[in-house]
Parts: sequence; structure tokens; C-alpha cells
Amino acid sequence: MNGWMGKVLDVDLTAGETRVVPLDADAARLFIGGRGLGARYLWDLVGPGVDPLSPENALVICTGPLTGTAFQTTSRFSTTTKSPLTGTILDANCGGFWGMRFKRAGFDALIVRGRASHPVSLEITAGGISIDDASHLWGKTVPETAQALGQSTRRSVLCIGPAGENLVRFASAISDCTRALGRGGVGAVMGSKNLKAIAVEGDARVEVADRERLRFVRYEASKHLTASPLTSQGLPQFGTAGVVNVVNAIGALPTRNFQESQFEGAERISGETIAESILVRKSACWSCPIACGRVTRTAHAQGEGPEYETVWALGAACGIDDLEAITEANYLCNDLGLDTISAGATIACAMEMAERRVIDSELRFGRADLLKPLLRDIAHRAGLGDELAEGSRRFAEKREAPQYSMSVKGMEMPAYDPRAMQGQGLLFATSNRGACHMRGNMLGPEVLGLPKLVHRLQAQGKAPMVMLHQDSAAAIDSLIVCKFTNMAVAEEYFARALSAVTGVSFSTGDLIRAGERIWNLERLYNLREGFTRADDTLPRRMLDDPIAAGPSKGWVSRLPEMLDEYYATRGWDVDGVPGREKLAELGIERLLEQIPGVAK
Amino acid sequence: MIDEQVLRSFQEIGRDLYVAGLVSSHGGNLSVRFGDRIIIKRRGAMLGRLTEEDLVETRLAKPDSGVMLASTELVVHRAIYLATPALAVVHAHPRAAIALSLSREEIVPIDNEGSYLLHKVPVVAAEFASGSAEMVEKLPAALRQYKIVMLRGHGCFSIGQTLDEAFQWVSCLEESCEIILAAKLIDEPFLEYRKMSEEYRSW
Repeated sequence: MNGWMGKVLDVDLTAGETRVVPLDADAARLFIGGRGLGARYLWDLVGPGVDPLSPENALVICTGPLTGTAFQTTSRFSTTTKSPLTGTILDANCGGFWGMRFKRAGFDALIVRGRASHPVSLEITAGGISIDDASHLWGKTVPETAQALGQSTRRSVLCIGPAGENLVRFASAISDCTRALGRGGVGAVMGSKNLKAIAVEGDARVEVADRERLRFVRYEASKHLTASPLTSQGLPQFGTAGVVNVVNAIGALPTRNFQESQFEGAERISGETIAESILVRKSACWSCPIACGRVTRTAHAQGEGPEYETVWALGAACGIDDLEAITEANYLCNDLGLDTISAGATIACAMEMAERRVIDSELRFGRADLLKPLLRDIAHRAGLGDELAEGSRRFAEKREAPQYSMSVKGMEMPAYDPRAMQGQGLLFATSNRGACHMRGNMLGPEVLGLPKLVHRLQAQGKAPMVMLHQDSAAAIDSLIVCKFTNMAVAEEYFARALSAVTGVSFSTGDLIRAGERIWNLERLYNLREGFTRADDTLPRRMLDDPIAAGPSKGWVSRLPEMLDEYYATRGWDVDGVPGREKLAELGIERLLEQIPGVAK
Repeated sequence: MIDEQVLRSFQEIGRDLYVAGLVSSHGGNLSVRFGDRIIIKRRGAMLGRLTEEDLVETRLAKPDSGVMLASTELVVHRAIYLATPALAVVHAHPRAAIALSLSREEIVPIDNEGSYLLHKVPVVAAEFASGSAEMVEKLPAALRQYKIVMLRGHGCFSIGQTLDEAFQWVSCLEESCEIILAAKLIDEPFLEYRKMSEEYRSW
């Protein structure tokens, strides 16, 4: 089976047993790997109504057919589970080295079920698999855990910090101490299973059907990565935070919990300022020529970050322009295992509620000094932090002020104002895991002109573009490669690389169609959980309150008109339910029968 | 009702195609897909002088009254949208490319930009090469693999997320074909500057 290793490691933590089973070849053909394969497995493993933090939830970790091959940016792995933050299907993926090593240990996927009776860690090497006692690691930070488990140049560790142990609903899991399975609470699911860490080693060869063909495709892709200023200059020089000034300039940088769309302190937290002040060197995942990672140093510490989303969440969203404070808060999130986006956005929500006297707190926009203490309290569920650990939606609802949570399906919106980028708003509203900029980012067409500039305030015609980007992203997350590669290299190259690796002919259209299949499967999962059209929405502020000033002044999201067009484009009915005809076209119509009351 | 920005994109790309000599006064057509509908140039309208009245909105999968007005190639545009991820289609008549298509099964650019962007452009032949069932069968299949395809003796169909992306492939193809013709006139052996040049033929 070229490209795939043909084996899945199935771990039952309740029984303390492991077994190796063959990869479901049909599923791999239809859903490729990574996110798609994870969704297909989760559909069978975790039925409706399961508490995400119960032993009945499962964690499915998948690599893809390109993982560990010679193609660019193929270090990544994807994790699928039911989210404790949103209750939706959740996939999160990250780079580093862990994914490549896991695959080279001989596996395409790892399924983790049940709950261990005490803290454990998993060790996976070509030589064997073991479930080890990790009681001595419980309470340790991410770096302490990785060090204790022998992270090295040959051994990668994926682990949680205190936030995951304490079931913070937006706890992340961190691989190689620097790369996060960031959003939606993967860390909390690991914590709920008493699974502290997974260490992997592996150097097996990934079989490739046509190495010469792959070499040529890689060579051609490298021309585009070199030619694109974004991948050869912008991202390497300024990291992802290079877009802070770009997004701010058009009035799309959400500020003070989305009350404004331009931040007066943007320049001070921009990628340019990072490069001039705190950057030590850039860093890269395995097989990545772009190197968007930032190794930075403040007056007190050295670490990784911040990325664009982080300087926004812990910066502009909270009205903070102190780059050192933001950076150290980022380090702390990495050590504790917290998603920086949800952490910052939840704090921003609390800051607005405090300023409006909805809660009694000293929190105020701009209070950089409160960031680190509050993040520690969140991770350890102390004081107000215990409430914030539930995420902004649950927190705001509990305080009877849900309007201050800037979230979709319970996941905090990332760093783009949907009123200033109409397509991005539709994307947030319809993303299966909640508000997300990585399930098809409209930053490309609406701001950067990739592949071509489309008017950011145009509503007509945005739905099919959003759909195409979502489907493309689902395919790319399943191969699995980095989406920044896709900023320079078109899907055509991924299809050709996939064909060369597997020996099975995939056209660009086939790849996008696989992405559509995956998107529809995720949609069915959410429908089975009871999500409806009413959940495909944005916070009222985005729909009702025009932006008050700046280049996007006067605009609200035109979501209602775009949503109808979106459903029609997808071949769904007016309630957002995929029709039997559409699902038959995608080869997954049988799944619809498993959703009583929805099947039509 | 057609969005102002959408109309402007039709007008700009239509004008550019005409000014660049990629279509004759009333040749070629453009369309974009919006969900289960498409907007396509009206039959007989001049690409270089499009007005709002020259754009026809019609259903993608089934005929409606829009077909009375739409471009001759409507059936081909529809088939392309149904078979590929395209959101925009440009059909033009690039002269050098048409000339080369008469004697070749494929056009392999030899210039740098053409090599980067196109690698290879297949040539598809149809006995009835305007709005025919044969084109509906052959062109979408080729466009699942390639972003631009030549129809022998007729012209090219290219796809993109936007009209200007699809236009770029047309413009690039024609430039590459003009360079191939110029190189033929010079009639001197090529000096190698692209690694793995032969590989482009198997792209």
C-alpha cells in the first residue's frame, strides 16, 4: 500500500490493552488520511450524545499518505475527537516532527479509547508499544514532561500540561514542546483519559510508488515556494504575525473583544516589530522550506512564538500592545497546554464584561500585568480562572450575558472581523468545528490576493468560494500538508504528489471532491449531535452592530443572504441538511440513515 | 440582480481579452458560478463592451429561460462546473495557440513562465467544435486534470476561482505559443535551462 503503512494502533486505556489492526483501505481511498480518515473512524467510534470528557469519547490520531515522504511540509498529523468546547466533531493538526516519526514507527493511525485508572503515557517505537505509569508526571508542564520522557532528535513527545489534566475545555496538546494541537480541547480529552503523553520513535521508510515522479513534482512545487514573496520572504522573515499590519490597515483586526476593528497598537505587536526586537531565529517543522516559526527571547525567558493569532488574542483582543508581556503569556500557554486563541479571546470577553460591570473584577482592557496570573488560574482552575476554563460561551451564559462571547458553536472567533471580510464571516459561521480560520481561510482571496483578489465586502458569489476553500482545506488536512504551502502551491501539485506517492491517479478535481466528502461527513456528524441551521451563525454584534470607524466603517456581516447561497451551493436543503442525492454523489449516502429525524 | 463588483469583473476581463487580441469583436465568452446558478455572457455580446444587460443569470443544472439568451457555449460551461471545482470559466480564441493546436496533441511551453504555470496544455478535438455534446464529454474531463485546455482549431477553455485567474492561464498560454512560433523562426538549437525538461511532456 504505497503511501500508507497499512496499520492502525488501537489502544484501550480502560483495559490497558493495545492491538494492531489493518488500515481500512476503503476508508483511506475515500477519505485519504489525516482529518478525513479521522472523521470516518470517529463516526463509528463515538455515537451521538457522548460526553466528550467521558471514557466513551475517542481520540483518533492520523497521518496521511504524504506524511514522511519527500514532498514539502509533510511532517504533520491530525487528531480527531468530539470537542469538549463545542460538542462538535473536532479535528486539530500540528507540525513539528511527531507526525513523521509516528508514521515511520509503522502506523497510519492511533485510536485511543477508554480511560486509564491512573495517569499513563504511551510509548510507540518500531520495537514495541507500551502503556507506562506516568503518575510522576501528573502536574508537570509540557517541557518538564517532554524532558522526562526523553525528547530528542530521534524521539518526539506529544503531551498535555496542567490545563489538560484539569479539563480546561480549550486545553491544547503540544508536540515537540513547540507545536500545538491548538483548538477545541484535544488536551482536555487526553486529560480525561489520564493520558499524559505519547512518545514516538521511528525511521521506517514510507513506500512511494514513483519516486522520480514525486521528485519532479517536488521540484516544481519548490519553484512556486521560492517565487512567492509570501512563502519565501514574508513568512520566513516576519512569521505569521507579518499580516498584523495588513489586516489592521483594512480595518479587519478585531480589537477589545471585537468592539472595534482597528488597533492603535498594531505596529507594536506586528511581525516587523517581532523581527526587530525579540526574534532570536526562525524555526521550521520537518521538511518545511518556509520556516514561519519564531524562536524569541524576552528580558526574562526564551521560547517559541508568538504567531499572528496569538499576538492578536493576547494582544489586540485584550487591548494590550506590550509585546514582551504577550510573548511571555504565549510561552506560558505553551507550557501549561492552553490554546492561545481561546485563552486570549475568553479573557477579552471577561475584560469587556468587567468594564461593563457585568462581573465584579479588576480585569480591564490593556491590563498586561494580569495576563500571566489569569492564565495560571485558568490552567489550574483557580478563582475566576475556573469559570474561564469553561470557555467564553459557557462563562458569558453563566453570567447571563451571552452577547459578550465572540464565538461560533462555542469556539472563539480568530483574528479577523467578519464584518470587514464577508467571506471570512461565512467561513466562521459554517465551519464544522466552530469559528475557524484554518478550515478554508478567506484571507487569501479577500486580503492577500491569493490566488486573486476578490472584493472583501462583496457578498454575492462568496458562498461558492468559501465552499471551495473549505473543501480544499479538508483535502489538504487529509494528505496531510501545511496550508501555508497552499498559499504558493496550487492543489494541482498536491494531487500529482498524491498520485506519485500512492500510484493511484488523483486529479485536482478528485482531490477537491474528497474534501467535499469529508466536509459533508463532518456535517453529518454534527447533525447527528443535534446541531441545526441555527448554529451556523455569528455573534449578534457581527450581525447588528456596524463597525464604528475605520476603513470598514458602517459594515455588518451579510451572513443571512450568504448562508442561503452557501446551502444551495453545497446541495443542502434550506435547513443545511445534505440531500440524499448529494451524498450519493459523494458515496456516503448510507450515513444519512443513521440520523433519525434528519434523513430525507 | 447582479452585484456591482461582479459586473465590473466581467467588464474588466472582457475588455482585457479583446484588447489583448485573444478574441475577435464578438468571440469568446465568460462565466462565473454562484452556487446552483451561473452568470454567463449573453449570446452575441461583445466581450470588450459588456453592460449589465449583457450578463445572463441561469440555473446550473437545469435549463430555464436564461438559456434563450446565453452564450452558445453554455452547455460546455455548465458541464465544466459540474465536473470540476471551477468557479469561473474563460473561453477565448488565442491565435498562436489555435495555430499550434492544428498540428499537435499537446502544447508544451518552452518559456519560463509557461513552464512554471502551465507545464503542458492538452489539445482536445471535436468534430462539432461549438456547443456540442462531444465537447461536453471531452473538455470537462480534461479540465479535471489541467486548468486550461485547447480545443483544436477553435480556442481554449480555462478555469479558476475568479475570472482573472482563468484569464491569466489564457494570457500565459498565448504568450508561450508566440514564443514557440518565434523560436521556430529563429530555428536554432535550444540551450538547456530547465532541469528535467522532458518531464513537462508527462505532466
